Amino acid sequence: MAQETEVREEEMQREYRNVGKPVTRIEGAGKVTGETIYADDMQLPRMLHAKVLGSPYAHARIKSIDGGAARQHPGVEAVFTPADLPEYKKNFSNRRGVIFPDEEVLFYGQPVAAVLASDPHVAEEALALIKVEYEALPPVVDPITAMEESSPLVRSPLGDVDRSEERGHVTVGVEQEEAEGKPSNIASQMNFKRGDVEAGFEQADVVVEHTWRSAVVHQSYIEPHSTVADYDASGELSVCTSTQAPFYIRDELSQTLGLPENKIRVTATEVGGGFGGKIYLQELMVAALAMAVRRPVKYIMSRKEDMLAATPAPQAVIDLKTSMTRDGKLTALKSRVVYDSGAFPGAPMLPGCLLVGGYYKCENLDIQGYEVLTNKVSVGALRAPGAHNVTFAIESHMDMMARELGLDPIEVRLKNAVEEGDPLPSGQPYPRIGLKQCLEAIAESEVWGRRNRERGTGNRGVGLAVGGWLGGLQPASAIVCLNSDGTINVTVGSADITGTNTSFAQITAEVLNVPLEMVNVTTGDTRTAPYAGMSAGSKTTYTVGRAVKLAAEDARQQMLEIAAKRFEAAPKELEMADGVVRLNGSDEKTLTFQRLGRLSTNFAAPFPAVVGRGAITTRKMAPGFTAQAAEVEVDTDTGEVTVLGFAVAQDAGFAINPLSVEGQMQGGASQGLGIALSEEMMYDSEGRLLNGNLLDYRMPTTRDLPPIEAIIVEVPSEEGPYGARIVGEPSIVAGAAAVGNAIADALGVHLTEAPFTPERVLRALGKL
Amino acid sequence: MPQQLITLTVNGRRTEVAVEPRWTLLEMVREELRLSGSKEGCGTGDCGACSMIVDGRLVTSCLMLATQVDGRDVVTIEGLATNGRLHPVQQAFIDTGGVQCGFCTPGMIMAAKSLLDRTPSPTLEEVREGLAGNLCRCTGYAKIYEAVMHAANAGK
Repeated sequence: MAQETEVREEEMQREYRNVGKPVTRIEGAGKVTGETIYADDMQLPRMLHAKVLGSPYAHARIKSIDGGAARQHPGVEAVFTPADLPEYKKNFSNRRGVIFPDEEVLFYGQPVAAVLASDPHVAEEALALIKVEYEALPPVVDPITAMEESSPLVRSPLGDVDRSEERGHVTVGVEQEEAEGKPSNIASQMNFKRGDVEAGFEQADVVVEHTWRSAVVHQSYIEPHSTVADYDASGELSVCTSTQAPFYIRDELSQTLGLPENKIRVTATEVGGGFGGKIYLQELMVAALAMAVRRPVKYIMSRKEDMLAATPAPQAVIDLKTSMTRDGKLTALKSRVVYDSGAFPGAPMLPGCLLVGGYYKCENLDIQGYEVLTNKVSVGALRAPGAHNVTFAIESHMDMMARELGLDPIEVRLKNAVEEGDPLPSGQPYPRIGLKQCLEAIAESEVWGRRNRERGTGNRGVGLAVGGWLGGLQPASAIVCLNSDGTINVTVGSADITGTNTSFAQITAEVLNVPLEMVNVTTGDTRTAPYAGMSAGSKTTYTVGRAVKLAAEDARQQMLEIAAKRFEAAPKELEMADGVVRLNGSDEKTLTFQRLGRLSTNFAAPFPAVVGRGAITTRKMAPGFTAQAAEVEVDTDTGEVTVLGFAVAQDAGFAINPLSVEGQMQGGASQGLGIALSEEMMYDSEGRLLNGNLLDYRMPTTRDLPPIEAIIVEVPSEEGPYGARIVGEPSIVAGAAAVGNAIADALGVHLTEAPFTPERVLRALGKL
Repeated sequence: MPQQLITLTVNGRRTEVAVEPRWTLLEMVREELRLSGSKEGCGTGDCGACSMIVDGRLVTSCLMLATQVDGRDVVTIEGLATNGRLHPVQQAFIDTGGVQCGFCTPGMIMAAKSLLDRTPSPTLEEVREGLAGNLCRCTGYAKIYEAVMHAANAGK
């Protein structure tokens, strides 16, 4: 390891030819021409289409299901009620452990039956013929009410809860307590304590206490969940699916269906947006149906189904009390963090509790987290799951305290910001991080530059907020092969959801010192690719990228050894550049990559094939921080908030592909702006979703978003390739808080509930 | 379901298709003509991933019935590149980083092409107005604005 670090430091000083340069996507041409194949574009012989019946109740007991009439409908191949499903290992405590409930329906839209037909219209028609008799049960919709002892229970008690999926998004050595004892709607809870918060409040000159609410929001990838599964005569299950986590699905399907992992081939088809929401959901159902009928089955969620029955991000209610001395030192932080998990566990309570007290040095902390069940769709990850909810609270408080003390919001944050060695609320120390550098960078942004100029002009305001994400950690591996013509193939097992394969091409080309065009990268399926963790937790470049670098270095070494034997020299006497290996200073003793390729692939070749291997694990986090500034204009007659400018500074460690990194920063920021301005899944008192479409669920359009300014900050991580750290997620975290602070700058009032809809703005102004 | 024969031009080629009255234009193009570049993101005309150009006008093809294009001229994303050469808008989306997951991209490019056909030198505000019917969840639109401005300049 020491040696690896030394090499890296040497590299940091070198001029790179491939990494650190903006590079266009290697798969770009396929995407702009429409040639790229997504799961819904697949057509297989004898393929059937699945349509799914959802529950019209948020909480009910199924008394009977009769698929008889649906089976008689012309063109229907099969109807599946719970009783018709093939055997699988059920786990009613986890969403992914249930295809259809045997008895108790737990949320509106929960799948209860399915129809298969060659014609999707026929399958759809037959759904209406399935007769389900329900006994309605009282639904529990509000998480705070659900916590009360008098609340009806959301569901039958939980058993063996599996938290493996959540750990893919954030990997920290902390366990939450699963609920025990008397049944309640609290699925789990946790507490972090440090110092004495009451004493901390006593020492302070200002104490601020508020409750902060944020809504259920949907990942709203434009491609809905899409899966095609097939089970062949040899007993092999193939699943082509829009997922970020092919190996995770393979492992789960293996355990649930009782098939060995080497008989399951999961292919992550091109993902039309995931954002944490496409890990593992409908694949079990589609696989089970395909196994039952021994024909390929395709299931594409309608947009409505995706909004009703996928895994959106949770609403949260954050009670926060913080205090500060006159000179701007944070003295105490007390919080109750409640995440509404929906009908199954899986809410991001742990990262929420870590981050609410994780941005600033604070000697006195008391953070109590609750994961609460309700009869709503169960939640999943959305880009830095749970982080935006708590960031909205703490970052609003920082501004409120600064304002009361007459201090500059950047100065106050810089004074308290965490640095390397400072403890998270769990006590775990931070590795090297760039929070302060992000604050310094945002201070230089154009948007922040308008801060004081805008004061008092109309209803314009400028605000800022910071945010961060810890990231996930999983092992990763990669293979780098030399082809007979001297070009290079890289194979990885990670789904490319952010342009990571382009970055892997850059890393490989850098190590081998060749033009980028000589390298191609493939994401294999779970039968052909070496293992990689899920493309979640912002870790793909950080972990798989390091494996690719090692694999490329291994291939390089093998090539140098072949050349050394040919030249009767030592490998270190050789140099490699532009596809040629050369004895130092010699014009004659040269071997092209093509020659090396032939020498290691031809009939009776003298050398074995060049196959570089890289495999890593890491237990060291590389957290990513961001600071964001918003300029808004508020129409105090209509309550409408317009974003005039938005800037994101983010620490990427080292931006291997600045074009992709900017894209991640701008894209995540736009999602943060959606959380701030308009995105909210609305439920009625019976737990029914009221706005299950993309017109009434309002994500930002071009009309809502000015060009977002991206400022890349680079504080190298200790273990990432070339110093790269996690990138994908932090950008979503600070939007709601930054816009909220900008509105407060404009109006002098903080809105305590996101999104900041016209109605909430007018209420805050006392006009409603 | 009885079928009806319609005649239309798709990407410059006249073709006859037997369609069911309930098929949308998108469904006919994807399932029957096997041109899968146009995407279905919502099926209700809200996302624009299925955008095509019919008789010179941008449409959301998930809201149009196949029978409605009888005798008309349809251009899909597959009709933009000529002899393997990308259309300037396609190239600009690649060059500026306007492509991420790619699912909104075909529809977005059709909308951008339609905008530039009408307004060859748009302002940023005109670009924002012209693309307002197409949702993108990955990019925050910043690099898409750049792509369209870039393509407009390249077309001069």
